[in-house]
Amino acid sequence: MLDFLQVVVDGLLFGATYALIGIGFTLVFGVMHKINMTYAAASIGGAYLGLLVLKVMAGAPAWLVFLCGFLGGGALGYVVYLACFHFIPYSSPLATLMSTVGMLLLIDEIIVHATEGRPLNYPAMFDDVMLRAGEFSLRGDLLLVFGVSVACMAGLLVLLYRTKLGLATRAVSQQPTAAQLCGIRIARVNAVTFVITGLLGGIAGALIGASVGTLSPLLTLPLTVKGLIVTVIGGLGNVPGAIIAGLLVGAFENVFQLWRGVTERDLYVMLLLFVFLVFRPGGLSSKN
Amino acid sequence: MDFYYGMAQLIGVHTLLGLSAYIVLLTGQVSMAQAAFFAIGAYTAGMLTVLAGWHIVPALGASSILGAATACAVGFPALRVKGLMLVIATLAFGEGVRLFFFNFDYQIAKGNIKVGPLGGEGFRQIRYFPENGWTTFDVMLFIWLFALAAMAVLWWFDRSRYGAVLRAVGEDELAAQSVGVNLTAVKVSAMTVGGAIAGVGGGLYAHYTTHIEHSSFNVLVATFAIAYPIVGGLSNVFGTLAAVIFVQAFLVEGLRDLGDWRNLLFGALIVLAMNLRPHGLFGRRHA
Repeated sequence: MLDFLQVVVDGLLFGATYALIGIGFTLVFGVMHKINMTYAAASIGGAYLGLLVLKVMAGAPAWLVFLCGFLGGGALGYVVYLACFHFIPYSSPLATLMSTVGMLLLIDEIIVHATEGRPLNYPAMFDDVMLRAGEFSLRGDLLLVFGVSVACMAGLLVLLYRTKLGLATRAVSQQPTAAQLCGIRIARVNAVTFVITGLLGGIAGALIGASVGTLSPLLTLPLTVKGLIVTVIGGLGNVPGAIIAGLLVGAFENVFQLWRGVTERDLYVMLLLFVFLVFRPGGLSSKN
Repeated sequence: MDFYYGMAQLIGVHTLLGLSAYIVLLTGQVSMAQAAFFAIGAYTAGMLTVLAGWHIVPALGASSILGAATACAVGFPALRVKGLMLVIATLAFGEGVRLFFFNFDYQIAKGNIKVGPLGGEGFRQIRYFPENGWTTFDVMLFIWLFALAAMAVLWWFDRSRYGAVLRAVGEDELAAQSVGVNLTAVKVSAMTVGGAIAGVGGGLYAHYTTHIEHSSFNVLVATFAIAYPIVGGLSNVFGTLAAVIFVQAFLVEGLRDLGDWRNLLFGALIVLAMNLRPHGLFGRRHA
């Protein structure tokens, strides 16, 4: 029983990164009604950009690496917007889908080239801290992952619901034409959305790197699939839903890793998705 | 010469893969599950010829039927959701099938060696062609027989009433529905035909490579499947064929001198192509 509780809590804490990735997919979907398949790759790419600091300044503290990952993710988000969305007509969803997939492959390959295909160590913070209560323990680095993720989500929600920029973003996602008539520049809102999701992705990538200990381009495809599953379970375009779904998927996969082993774990996550598709296609909070 | 025959085999199999996604794309749906139907066809045909000792033609028939049945079964629940949700649902289904084969063991002793799929190690020794004395040239002809048949069938569909209905659904679902088209039936039938084609392609793939494993059917393969018709354009089946030749012969083989850099170039070229020709390299321009 204690094992079970431990596994659920560890999964919930790591699930915060899935929530961040899910938010990125869902925000772009909400604003543009398109999927940005590059997102998870760009997030990992942002985390790699964070590592560049160590090249410039040997022995830089971990927080600086995280910060640069955060900023690098934002920059990559803008690049992805320009390469895959800005110049492609709105009425060609297939072309956008395909170009983001091409971008995914491109970022993966650039990482493989830049690192010569070897996984890199990622600095962690508080990885020697362990909170204990009898048999039950909490890993310090996972707590950091969770804490930073929650802070980012809170920041995002404030941005979306308390600022003018957030109002414009939500207006575009509800009714682009009407938003344009009110003087909102759609292209600018779209670009800003990509930068914001890129920033979130960069920090998510850095946190994943920190809690796994290494960073590898092999992380991108599984992360893409997990992020999309979180997006569907949370409801497309639904930010709070994506947060809950991310935590849920994190806990769920950890439990099945305990019960069925690491090779079968993801199979059950897919089954969870299909249960949702059949019984609640609108996601967790749909009223149907 | 065998090198060129080998390349022609590869192009034939990938054409089948691309065509299986082409018909689904005509209805405006993006299916990332084509690699899964491909995998099901590959494992089915391989197990039937190796473990059950079937002839290859009925084995391919069985893999086609199983591919079609799975696609039909996936189609019903998955097509309740539209557009982007379908992309995700089929992506997850494809990964689910891959993980199933990753955990799938079924070996029987044959002579003094064990044959059959073995989880992560994959399914080795699908040696139907060498055991029966087929040359590379024979295998190539055999593969192209199926590829051309699939192209002919889809070409004929395109000219028929059925093709018009498929495209009507792809262009505007609401308009199609309002003139009495049964959307679910059309979409599920397109998925089923796509599944059958992917099943045959998978069966052929298993036999010409002689060794399959779960990673031969990953998201990347599913991406290739939809990339061919999208890059080639949806005007007709030749766009898909041209895209397969462009990618496999030009990008993968022609740029071999570039070594690892060609993978990098591949992603960049797709991004560039979609920016310049959103309706595909050979697609018609409209709206």
